[in-house]
Amino acid sequence: MGLLNNLINKSRLKSPWVVHYDCGSCNGCDIEVLACLTPVYDLERFGIVNVGNPKHADVLLVTGTVNKRNKAVLKNIYDQMPEPKAVVAIGTCGMSGGMFRECYNVVGGVDKVIPVDVYVPGCPAKPEAIIDGVVKALELVKAKLEGKAPQSDAAPAEPAEGKPEEPKPEIDAA
Amino acid sequence: MLNGLVFACIVLPILAALLALIFRACAIRKALVIGTGVVLALASLALAKAGSFRLAADTMLGINVNSLVMLLDFALMAVILIIGLRLTNWIIVCLAIAQIAGTLYVEGFIGVGSGAPFLPEMGIFADNLSLVMVLVISLVGSLICIYGLGYMRVHEEHLHLEKSRQPRFFFYMLLFLGAMNGLVLSNNLLWAFFFWELTTLCSFMLIGHDGTDEARRNATRALWMNMLGGMAFVFGMMMLKKAGAELSMLTLISSGNSLYLMPIVLFCFAGFTKSAQVPFQSWLCGAMVAPTPVSALLHSSTMVKAGVFLVLRLAPGFEGTWFSVVLAIFGAFTFLVTSALAVGQSNGKKILAYSTIANLGLIIACAGINTQAAIAAAIMIIVFHAVSKALLFLCVGAIEQRIESRNIDDMRSLYQLMPRTAVITAIGIVSMMLPPFGMLLGKWMAIESALNMNFAMPIVITMLALGSALTVLFWGRWAGMLLGAANPKPVRVSDNQSFSISFVLMVLTIMAVLASLLSPLLYVALVQPATLAAADPASGYSIWGALGSFYNNTGAFAVYPLFIAIALGFAWALHAARKASKVEGTDPFLSGANARNENGEPGFIGPMREVTAPTMGNYYLSNIFGEGKLTGTANAVAITLIALMLGGVMWN
Amino acid sequence: MELSIFTILIALVLLLLSPLAGGFITGVDRRLTAWLQSRYGPPLVQPFYDVLKLLGKAPMIVNSWQVLCAYIYLVSAVVALFIFFMQGDLLLIFFVVTVGAVAQVVGAMTVNSPFGQTGAQRELLQMLAYEPLLVMVFVGMAKAAGSFNVSDIMNVEEPLLFSLPLLFIAMVIVMLIKLRKSPFDISSSGHAHQEIVSGVHTDYSGPQLALLEIGHWLEVVLLLGITALFWTSQTTTFIGVILIIVETYFVEILIDNISARMTWKWMLRTSLCTGMVLALVNIFWLYY
Repeated sequence: MGLLNNLINKSRLKSPWVVHYDCGSCNGCDIEVLACLTPVYDLERFGIVNVGNPKHADVLLVTGTVNKRNKAVLKNIYDQMPEPKAVVAIGTCGMSGGMFRECYNVVGGVDKVIPVDVYVPGCPAKPEAIIDGVVKALELVKAKLEGKAPQSDAAPAEPAEGKPEEPKPEIDAA
Repeated sequence: MLNGLVFACIVLPILAALLALIFRACAIRKALVIGTGVVLALASLALAKAGSFRLAADTMLGINVNSLVMLLDFALMAVILIIGLRLTNWIIVCLAIAQIAGTLYVEGFIGVGSGAPFLPEMGIFADNLSLVMVLVISLVGSLICIYGLGYMRVHEEHLHLEKSRQPRFFFYMLLFLGAMNGLVLSNNLLWAFFFWELTTLCSFMLIGHDGTDEARRNATRALWMNMLGGMAFVFGMMMLKKAGAELSMLTLISSGNSLYLMPIVLFCFAGFTKSAQVPFQSWLCGAMVAPTPVSALLHSSTMVKAGVFLVLRLAPGFEGTWFSVVLAIFGAFTFLVTSALAVGQSNGKKILAYSTIANLGLIIACAGINTQAAIAAAIMIIVFHAVSKALLFLCVGAIEQRIESRNIDDMRSLYQLMPRTAVITAIGIVSMMLPPFGMLLGKWMAIESALNMNFAMPIVITMLALGSALTVLFWGRWAGMLLGAANPKPVRVSDNQSFSISFVLMVLTIMAVLASLLSPLLYVALVQPATLAAADPASGYSIWGALGSFYNNTGAFAVYPLFIAIALGFAWALHAARKASKVEGTDPFLSGANARNENGEPGFIGPMREVTAPTMGNYYLSNIFGEGKLTGTANAVAITLIALMLGGVMWN
Repeated sequence: MELSIFTILIALVLLLLSPLAGGFITGVDRRLTAWLQSRYGPPLVQPFYDVLKLLGKAPMIVNSWQVLCAYIYLVSAVVALFIFFMQGDLLLIFFVVTVGAVAQVVGAMTVNSPFGQTGAQRELLQMLAYEPLLVMVFVGMAKAAGSFNVSDIMNVEEPLLFSLPLLFIAMVIVMLIKLRKSPFDISSSGHAHQEIVSGVHTDYSGPQLALLEIGHWLEVVLLLGITALFWTSQTTTFIGVILIIVETYFVEILIDNISARMTWKWMLRTSLCTGMVLALVNIFWLYY
């Protein structure tokens, strides 16, 4: 089974399917994410496909500030991605809340809600940087996989270690 | 011995029916129904084992049967006449008077050339087709009656009746079983006619059983439409009488005399009305107001089969004629149109009704294709359809008593409420449309035998192909909806059914699977001799080796290898599903807004931040497949086809 | 249908090779599509990476019917393809394929998600659109060759394409629908199409999705095999058969790339009106 596991691990790096969630971005970063799929950047070269469905996805791309209204949605989407998975926070807002971080309704960066593996800075982030971020996320996944026992089919694995505090996914009454 | 068995099949249920009417105690009724069921089942099995036979049966308990039947026949028609007068329905009155007059003529009381009719020496005649029918009627019919015991108790509780109407109900149910057995075993056409009208009467009484306005209206419609067929039957006999021919099924089919073609066409017309072929489909749809055991017994597995039985019985009599070709097109057309109509329905029983008509149409198309293989296909479809459709009707009945709706939209996620019934219904649905179950085997044989037809082949096959795709559409979505579940764990709740209901559902499910599993044996034991007896066995189908395959010169249906492959695959899939059921489940994808309410039921965060269950509907495509859109055109086309049949025969 | 250990062995070997072939064809498909869109595209073995990755993911299911249905879909594809390689009955193959298609729909219908359910309803309409056409193609072949058996159809005197040109067009329509190509990719959208998320596949994930994908590869092989029957005969060469497969598949990809997605009404009209008329005309033609 060692060979099969190696093959599967290799395939994980070769076939990162992404789902993109806009947490309330100004659309600047969203446009850059979509630009990656155009013939100019052609993300599919790396096997990256935008699947639009967390259940099929391996990498979650989040743009924009997390606010109290949509943090449950973000959490749900994250939860509905089967392991192993990675999260890439894109743009200044995704990293820290950006210029909206002081707003009454803003929770802050993506990492306040779900564990983030890679932060891609920029306002907006460049497509090259986003592609680089996804590749970095994969390297992290690889390191994680090699550090730990191979994934079994028995049960979903624990989320990544060293993650920030994880708020409860309750519905806010705000 | 044979006399006794035939007596047990025909007369015994009728006697039991009378007893059920007289003794009103629940326990006696239960004993009568179960006892009759057991005796019928055993007698039919013994008959089937004995194989084809002929019986004179001219006296019974010292009474001349011919006179007895004649007497009862007039009594029956008088009853119908009185019913017509009481309903002040002039169609029924006219038809009843015409039938009485016609029968008087046939019996030789009035008219020119009067004299006793030329009656066959053998009153009873059974070949494998009849025996298959007897088996279906006795086995499936008895099971449905037993189911009725549990069903009617709950049914009457729902209706809050002061006085139980069950004696009347079971009187007609048991009477019907006897009449049906009599019909399929009669060689004497006068006897057949008596039993034919008796089933019509039972049907009328049982459709109107609940006594609501709608029930009465629909029962009346069923009565006059069926009497139209009875009228055609009488006309057929009158023509035979006029020609001085013997009133015998056997003579009709074996002589090959072109004089007999017109009576045969008239008998087939009677078959169309009984089998609710387009344009007579409305009575069967209306009949769905009856309690579910009635729909299962009369309107899917047996009585409507009497029509196609008659057509199949007469099929050798019109082999190679123009009528046969148009008949194939007519049957295929009914199959197509009623399948399309079923797509547009959300009422579960109506879907079943339309699908029943569709399958009857398929059988008639087989009779029209009229090769040995096609007739064999038709008989196979009769058997498998009877079991599967009875099962489905009984399931819908059980579901309806629980959820108080027969709308399939309300059956969404039924698996979580009554898991066993939901799974059984799904099995029933699958057995109607997918291999390796027998229905599909019948369809396969039908299409393959249609290949060698004349120029009408493309038309017939086009309609069969379209119709069968439509079938998949309405069955597929229903099966999926039933099995809806929100958790990977198997649901462990009780279905809350009386024993008689769950027992019958179980037995019928096993029968459906077993019958398909035994289809090659069934074919050898029942169908092949019936269709190949006289003909050259090398030209038709043969069982291919020990593999249990249907093999002919145009293809092969490897039943057992297919069964084994699919069963193994299914076991593997089941194993995987079992293993997966241990995993913690997730919610359906609802764009991240998924949440569970306080009862753990899934939904999404809706307005006012409340957890709202998503609601979904089916594509009924009522703009295309609605009853209002299709019925008119379909009736017109069907009437044209019938006119073509009649015209073609008269022309010659 | 000759039955010997040898034929069974050959069929088994072909069956084992089919997923490889199917995956490879899908890879070529993606590469060609990228090329038509002036992109570079993924490596040829990308489909294998995808499936292996999916197999390695943690299971995530809503209910266990989904798992059952995904397996049945694969089993039906395997059985259908095996019958094809055994040169069995075309109608039987058709019926077995239907099992898988229905299983897929049932699996999606058991999940209470509007995306999956809408996809399932549309998938059923797709089946309504291609099933009659496929039956007509098979009946046409059987009429021309005198038998539904693949073995007999392969041994006709001259290629069926000459007598069944219109049915070949019908077959192209069938393949467009069955392979989920534009303009008929309405029930399950891969890649960047996100109208109803992933339609009928929305709530399948990880290993189950991988099984569906492998089953789909087998169906690709089966459909291309059926296309090949239009050219196989006593006289034609192997190269010719390969050519007709390649050409047909290229036409499929081309249509996929030059057409926009249409509605189910349009689909039913195209396949059932146009396709059935083509098929009928062609079969009537065989009588003269």
